[in-house]
Amino acid sequence: MLRPRVVVCLDVKDGRVVKGVNFEGLRDMGDPVELAARYEAEGADEICFLDISASHEGRGTLLDTVRRTAEVLFVPLTVGGGIRSADDIGPLLRAGADKISVNSAAVRDPSVLTEGARRYGAQCIVASIDAARQDDGTWRHYTHGGRTRTDLDAVAWAASCADHGAGEILLTSIDRDGVRGGYDLELTRAVSDRVDVPVVASGGAGEAAHLRDAFLEGHASAALLAGILHEGLTTVGELKAALTGWNVPVRPYRRATSP
Amino acid sequence: MSGQREVAERGRRLAVALFDYGVGNLHSLGKALEHAGADVLVTDDWSAALAREVLVLPGVGAFAAALEALPDDRTAIVERIRSGMPVLGICLGMQLLFDTSEEGEGRGLGVVPGRVRRVRAGVVPQMGWNEIEMGEDPIFEGLSELVAYYANSYVCEPRDAEDAIGWTECEDDRFAAAVRRGSIVGVQCHPEKSSTAGRQLIANFLRDAERRVRAGAEAAR
Repeated sequence: MLRPRVVVCLDVKDGRVVKGVNFEGLRDMGDPVELAARYEAEGADEICFLDISASHEGRGTLLDTVRRTAEVLFVPLTVGGGIRSADDIGPLLRAGADKISVNSAAVRDPSVLTEGARRYGAQCIVASIDAARQDDGTWRHYTHGGRTRTDLDAVAWAASCADHGAGEILLTSIDRDGVRGGYDLELTRAVSDRVDVPVVASGGAGEAAHLRDAFLEGHASAALLAGILHEGLTTVGELKAALTGWNVPVRPYRRATSP
Repeated sequence: MSGQREVAERGRRLAVALFDYGVGNLHSLGKALEHAGADVLVTDDWSAALAREVLVLPGVGAFAAALEALPDDRTAIVERIRSGMPVLGICLGMQLLFDTSEEGEGRGLGVVPGRVRRVRAGVVPQMGWNEIEMGEDPIFEGLSELVAYYANSYVCEPRDAEDAIGWTECEDDRFAAAVRRGSIVGVQCHPEKSSTAGRQLIANFLRDAERRVRAGAEAAR
């Protein structure tokens, strides 16, 4: 039986993990290589780097960061942010990423998903959906880190991405992101029930029960979280212990020892 | 002097070729092999690869794309493998050991009889951690339970049931999680992405491969 996954996300800028503080600036949270390895040791099933570097120099640094991370990390690594075409995918995979997540480029031209899947296999192409609830109760897809509203219905767009070759959907609720009141379960369920690829729920994790709900009620294959771990409010091990207590069959947490 | 003719001495690191099809991530696998004591050569040159003691076929990419990395004449590869070179095929690398695949045109190496078919599940790819029911095999030594990372849409169906040494269930499907045919081992999961347990499996494979290489060298004397 496939285990529901706990994915830890790190925002990476110019080779450092950063965290926004009330939109007024970014705080340095540490070295991505060290943090990724620490989260694996705590029981994370997967690590996700979201690159928010804007410059070319930042992108070069990202490749180096991915390379150094892949040498010490023995769980899957997804890298997203700044992918403009299928040609940007290869170097990241070569550097050590296992999956690449794409948002804006797929809206401009969905063939980036098709071409990526053809070259590298669907299992490493992730379509990132940033969804915000509209007044009519539907969800709209946004690009450019949630700044640009598109005219795409988020659920239909997720299905279209899967049809175009994406092997996974990373589904973020813009409304819930950072609020810590739980994932948008309706959105998560709407997408999970619509597509036949795995869905990673993102945005809103505040406690273990939120992850449980994402799996059981949202039908998500994985739940992504960031802030509550980075701030030390809980650990992956604690979350997994709680999930196991509720009979959610996550991968057993064991303190990693180097063989 | 080529690696295959060298006697594997105790304490010397096993000469492993990690074949590079030119697409995927080899860093984690390379590091996992090195941590387990191997001397790893990453190469896209088959003659260099076959001159090593052990061959590792990694698992990223599409079947057809990986076949392009195989030479038209596979005789040398197949002969070297059949003569006892320990091989570890991972995910797609496991699938390449078989005859044919539903995923794409062309023939695999055919060193393990059977075919590759699509996973029979509602959600495909199978992406995530799944349990392996372990049979008796040195690669599972010391592992009381094994939950490993998978990222695959296709699985192997060995013609000879006894080639399967491990099983995994995905929804209603049950497939060969691992195969062994003599010195040839294939695993459908990604041990290099399966944290501590996966690294143990890699170390186990190398330990068994080393025994086989040494026994082969003894027999040749």
